[in-house]
Amino acid sequence: MKIMANHSSLTGVATRRSHAVTNHAVPNHAAEHADSVLAPEGYWHIALPRWGYSFLLEKRALAVNMGLLVALLAACLLYLSLGSVPLAPSAVIPAVLGKGDMMTAFMVQELRLPRLIAACFTGAAFALSGILMQTLARNRLATPGIIGIDNGATAFAVASIVGMGVSIAPPAMALAGATTAAVLTFGLAAGSGTQGYRFIVAGIGVGAMFGAVTQLMLARVAIDTANAAYPWTVGSLNARPGGAVQLLGIGLALGIIAALALARSLTLLRFNDATASGLGVRVKARRLQILMLSVVLTAFAVAVAGPVGMVALIGPEIARSLSSARQVPILAATLAGALVMVLADLAGRTLLAPIEIPVGIVTAVVGGPWLLWILMRPQRSRP
Amino acid sequence: MLILLTALVAVSVVSLLIGAGEVGPQRVLGLLLSASDSEAQFIVWELRTPRTLIGIVVGIALGVAGALLQAISRNPLAEPGLLGVSAGAAFAVALALVLGASAATLRISVAQLGALVGCICVLSVARFRGVGNDPVRLVLAGAAFSGLLGSLTSLMLLYDQRAADEIRFWVVGSLAGRRLDDLVAVLPSLLVAAIAVVIMARPLAALALGERAASGLGHHPTLIRWVAVGCVALLVGAATAIAGPIAFVGLVVPFVARAFAGPDIRRTLWFCLPIGPLVVLTADIISRVVVAPSELPLGVLTALCGAPVLIAVVRAKRLPML
Repeated sequence: MKIMANHSSLTGVATRRSHAVTNHAVPNHAAEHADSVLAPEGYWHIALPRWGYSFLLEKRALAVNMGLLVALLAACLLYLSLGSVPLAPSAVIPAVLGKGDMMTAFMVQELRLPRLIAACFTGAAFALSGILMQTLARNRLATPGIIGIDNGATAFAVASIVGMGVSIAPPAMALAGATTAAVLTFGLAAGSGTQGYRFIVAGIGVGAMFGAVTQLMLARVAIDTANAAYPWTVGSLNARPGGAVQLLGIGLALGIIAALALARSLTLLRFNDATASGLGVRVKARRLQILMLSVVLTAFAVAVAGPVGMVALIGPEIARSLSSARQVPILAATLAGALVMVLADLAGRTLLAPIEIPVGIVTAVVGGPWLLWILMRPQRSRP
Repeated sequence: MLILLTALVAVSVVSLLIGAGEVGPQRVLGLLLSASDSEAQFIVWELRTPRTLIGIVVGIALGVAGALLQAISRNPLAEPGLLGVSAGAAFAVALALVLGASAATLRISVAQLGALVGCICVLSVARFRGVGNDPVRLVLAGAAFSGLLGSLTSLMLLYDQRAADEIRFWVVGSLAGRRLDDLVAVLPSLLVAAIAVVIMARPLAALALGERAASGLGHHPTLIRWVAVGCVALLVGAATAIAGPIAFVGLVVPFVARAFAGPDIRRTLWFCLPIGPLVVLTADIISRVVVAPSELPLGVLTALCGAPVLIAVVRAKRLPML
């Protein structure tokens, strides 16, 4: 019973009756309480009888998420400490809370913290939208970046910056662009289905077209404007438009909640459509919801950082390799994406200092070989 | 064929007539009818003629290279730009510039070397289990590969400002401001490639029957492939050294050529000769006109026109097997 009490406090579920948490390893306890259900192996069954609600918590998923969270926090601490002026980690933590040395507090609060938050948010959003799209297409290579949605969002966002007679804020324009690209890709692939590699190559074509449109606009404007828009075309956290980060934060919070609500459908959508609908998933409606969620998340993230490629591939890939195959690791992918982004931007800021490498180039240099490796490996499990 | 050649001549003349600046078609026509107009003379003979000639050569080189690459990988989507061969050439040039080279002649051999390495890399990926059997997966591998090389190139340019200034106008892919010297410098390697292609045409056609049939007919499939890879490297390297990486020409030209010529690789290669320049010059003329008075990089325009072709090929119920 002691162990179980620990478990319930770990999960943060405030159960007054701790014996409601049962474990398959101690069936005699479960038998003592008629209202308890035996949990399958590898799960905890958490029941909240007061609200008439109970759910299964996977042990491994909990461990993976906790591990990734700790790694992310460590990376954030490192991010705040390193830079052109190195700070001691012991000085950083009070500075985040607004205490301690004035200069340090200014550096942390005004310079590094906003960028760190942007890195966490964009990384999480890219990876979350990546794992949604991968599950939808049943192909681990079908990330929004690869099928051209990033480029669509970028083209429209650049249009709002270089001012092609439109003066709408980048997030709205990015959303319009991402939607256009998604409609194009899915529409063009309609005949051959959304599975398999043809769909992805159609997406590469759409992406190439939007990339060309971006270049076209940059070629038309004055060199200064083009230089201002350049980080946008490779993906950088250096030019974050105001307001976009807040919008992304709200969108990300809602997106995570929505993704968790869709988690069961996602898990079942990994099978074929017939099986999924046989198991009670309204396939058509769910697919549309997942697609829309993925497109919106990508658009908001692109509006902040530009098209940072490969995070949407690497984040879910890390999460899947750590997690069991029982569920789609939504939270783990989100955390891993944020971790990848923070580390990549940290490397970009520090490796070649004082030159700053845009984070999109760092992720492309790391992610390119990774993508090739995935392609060359013989086909294994699907996402 | 005759129609294509006529169209090519017409497009070449249009390429001389149209362009940025004050010198419009009337003044050029006046010049050609022997009026003395020094400004128009300079523009037409010093700027537009080399540009048109370079466009013709680049078009032939990229079109033939695309057809060769598609024949040896038996993949209708194989394209030097998509598969990272052009990116390899561009990467090699950027590397050479960062390491301190600046001679124009060096640039060509370096670009050809980079194209060769890129070609071998992506084709050896195609030899891996499963990737080669699926034409579309090879394109994905190529896209990943060229994306990686592109990022490495921008990384080096970020690191070395001098190289960046030297290369920026070139890395987008354009025919503007190229001189006749560049063209003369690549001619020898193009000649070598042309001779090799002529000798290889029959063995390549035999290879289309399958590896066993080709060896049964007395050819050496491995040797044919290596020679063809060498030719692709020479052609793409030369084209990239002059005009920068231009995507999709190697996809569109053989695609159109096959529509005229049917499945025979020998006929396809012949048809690539007029169609390649036709595509490149048309795109170049449009690039001069569409955002006048400034110009569009040619690579942007070929991407805009080529991507729909890619999608059309992919959407076809059955990919045309080569």
